[in-house]
Amino acid sequence: MGVSSPTIVKPVPNPNPPKDFAHPIEAEFARLLDFYRIPWCYEPTTFPLAYGPEGAIAEALTPDFYLPPFDLYVELTTRRQSTLTRKHHKIRRLNELYPQVELRLLNRRQMRSLLYKYDLQDRLPRLIGAPNV
Amino acid sequence: MPPTSSARPSVDGIDVGPIVFDSGQIRNGVARLAAAISADHPDGDLVVVGILPGVIFFLADLVRSLSIPVELDLMAITRFGPPEATGGEVRIQRDIEAHIRGRPVLLVEDIVDTGLTVHHLMGALVPRQPSSIKIAALLERPDRRLIRVPLAYTGFQAPEDFLVGYGLQYQGRYRQLPYIAQLAPGDQPQGA
Repeated sequence: MGVSSPTIVKPVPNPNPPKDFAHPIEAEFARLLDFYRIPWCYEPTTFPLAYGPEGAIAEALTPDFYLPPFDLYVELTTRRQSTLTRKHHKIRRLNELYPQVELRLLNRRQMRSLLYKYDLQDRLPRLIGAPNV
Repeated sequence: MPPTSSARPSVDGIDVGPIVFDSGQIRNGVARLAAAISADHPDGDLVVVGILPGVIFFLADLVRSLSIPVELDLMAITRFGPPEATGGEVRIQRDIEAHIRGRPVLLVEDIVDTGLTVHHLMGALVPRQPSSIKIAALLERPDRRLIRVPLAYTGFQAPEDFLVGYGLQYQGRYRQLPYIAQLAPGDQPQGA
């Protein structure tokens, strides 16, 4: 398993683009982008990170959002820092294989702070979970 | 710059967390920014545009520290918030009155994190054909940046903590504090 050369990998259109947001925090983020009139796409692209022996994608990352005007991908996570090892590995791998791709990860702490900034702290339990969950 | 004091001030009954930037640090930071801005615009004719409401204390101190003549103006836009309080899309609530065509503009913000507000206002000002637009921010959080906006003048890098004071608010309070502090631990966003 593994990608032998960065030159043979390329992002592919997400074969199963979701109709709905997977997580309520993503809907809230989309609302923020809409407010600022920032065009966005939800999970439009899959980045293969590793292939199996038959050539099938064995590992991939599909960032949550793509912002076309800025050629920027955004990944949101509500998971605790201690449980993000796999995600961080994928992002590091994506950076290695697709150095031209710009991906921002907004982690749980950053999103909590943004929700506070926008006076949405009442929605924290629903959007992110309790502090110790 | 990291937090420099662990004091927990209580001023006029307001309890906040540790001070992150005290009034002396802020004063020195503002003076440093003002000196750089003045040096970069020796011919004057600079239009300084503050973004209301958080910028008021920083803006007042900054323009009074400049050694060049400037024209001062203000902008305000609607805030993102709960759906019931947020009217659809961002709107300019207060526009500048200054004519900026062919003139240098300095957009002044208290804190830049996502870059969304500054990016939107740049989009509103660029079509008016100023000779240049630069951005000055007292605080910035580059690790939260979504939209790349060029910051020409930055006072301090803010820690991830939720900050209040010197124009920064939480639920409409704490703006008047002469220092910048963490929000009280009981109110601070938790979770790593």
